Amino acid sequence: MKAFGSFHPAVLLTYFVAIIGIFMFASNPVMRVTALLGGILFCLLLQKKREIPGNLGFYIPLFLLVAVTNPLFSHAGVTPLFFLNGNPVTLEASVYGVFLAVTVIGVMMWCKCYSEIMTGDKFLYLFGSIVPKLSLTLSMAFRFLPLFVRRMKTVTTARRGLGLYSQRGFVDRIKGTGQVFLSVISWSLENAMETSMSMRARAYGKAKRTSFSLFRFTMRDGVMIFVTLLLFALTVTGMASGATDFFFYPRIGELSLSPLAVTAYSSFAILAFLPFVIEVRGALLWRYYISRI
Amino acid sequence: MRKDIIAVFLIVLIVAVLIGGTDIQSVDEYYLTHIDDITPDSETVTLSIRCDTILDNYDDLDPTLRSEEFVPKDGVILPPTEYVLRHGDTAFDILDRATRHNKIQMEYQGEDRTGYGSVYIKGINNLYEYSCGPLSGWIYRVDGEIRNIGCSKDTLRDGQTVEFIYTCDLGRDIGNSTVTEGSDMP
Repeated sequence: MKAFGSFHPAVLLTYFVAIIGIFMFASNPVMRVTALLGGILFCLLLQKKREIPGNLGFYIPLFLLVAVTNPLFSHAGVTPLFFLNGNPVTLEASVYGVFLAVTVIGVMMWCKCYSEIMTGDKFLYLFGSIVPKLSLTLSMAFRFLPLFVRRMKTVTTARRGLGLYSQRGFVDRIKGTGQVFLSVISWSLENAMETSMSMRARAYGKAKRTSFSLFRFTMRDGVMIFVTLLLFALTVTGMASGATDFFFYPRIGELSLSPLAVTAYSSFAILAFLPFVIEVRGALLWRYYISRI
Repeated sequence: MRKDIIAVFLIVLIVAVLIGGTDIQSVDEYYLTHIDDITPDSETVTLSIRCDTILDNYDDLDPTLRSEEFVPKDGVILPPTEYVLRHGDTAFDILDRATRHNKIQMEYQGEDRTGYGSVYIKGINNLYEYSCGPLSGWIYRVDGEIRNIGCSKDTLRDGQTVEFIYTCDLGRDIGNSTVTEGSDMP
């Protein structure tokens, strides 16, 4: 069930551009944390349950790595915690590092949701006729990593079937993975070239042509795009006026609670939790209808 | 298995070198509470740290720094103070000792990381390079003269006066007429 994914591609693209765009430029900790939470909740609904532990094992160490790196290289701030080789490790730099990690992980979460929701056909539907070459390249780039992981698995399984694997220790295993990696890289590059040649052979992008799609812009999409743009405008107004500005250096600043700032926080929070709410509502409706049958 | 043992050994070695090369000090250890006492026969130099030029260019200053805590009203971060000159001390050694003693924040780039083999002072009292316009940063003078040599290469003599001064215009605003990019930064 992807209730949010059933919106028109134009609505979805607007939504993702709005949320990721604001998130990347927001300096305010409240907005960053709400966006991260919204992204995590949405991601949890979209993911398969068995993929969650593996993802936690990736994102939590990455979060810690980003958070720890900043205070090691940035020494500004008025509250030293301790000194490393004569340079201070400050409270301000550590807090900044944590919020930097919030942004990095949060944007990754939203991009993950984006690739789940905005599948290649939706992207090509939007841009295929306007900028055919660029949109084909982009949709190939978006699907590159997931495809790469799948191919890694295929090659590893094939090698195991041939008896080409080592049980002796992890150095040998790393070596084996390296060989698989190299072969998959050349496979992927070759395949990308073949794709473009095969698309050219079909005269892709040469002339106007119609294409089949199931997408229709309905009343529901109109409401959704209006709400998205309204919330986006409210948040951007708050940010542009400087009400939501927040400083970490040299001393951690105060959180602004002026009406304009609170409006920006709340509209951004609604924007960030919108997909989660829509998904949950969709799931509840689905259950309800099933129980009626 | 043998390869694994070698790999683990190498990793342990790298970690040991990293930890061994890192010097961790607590705040109290870093800030010197005691400094060499001035005795009649000790050699001394006078050090001062100032940022008057910012007061004239207040509009260029980073908004987060517009407070008396970082830019004092009279522009004096450290009034002229006498410090004991140990044998072979450079201007940087005196600055380092004085900032530690007075708990003034200071960040520098080590000799091995700058291109010209001397320490580069990035910021004092949270006033960093570029904090007050694109041509701002720290500069130092010995006996009123801007030195074209890095501050950790400049060995001092008895009775000299060292001033660390913040400039907003590559040193032109504190009386340096012959500046070239980079050569004047302490």
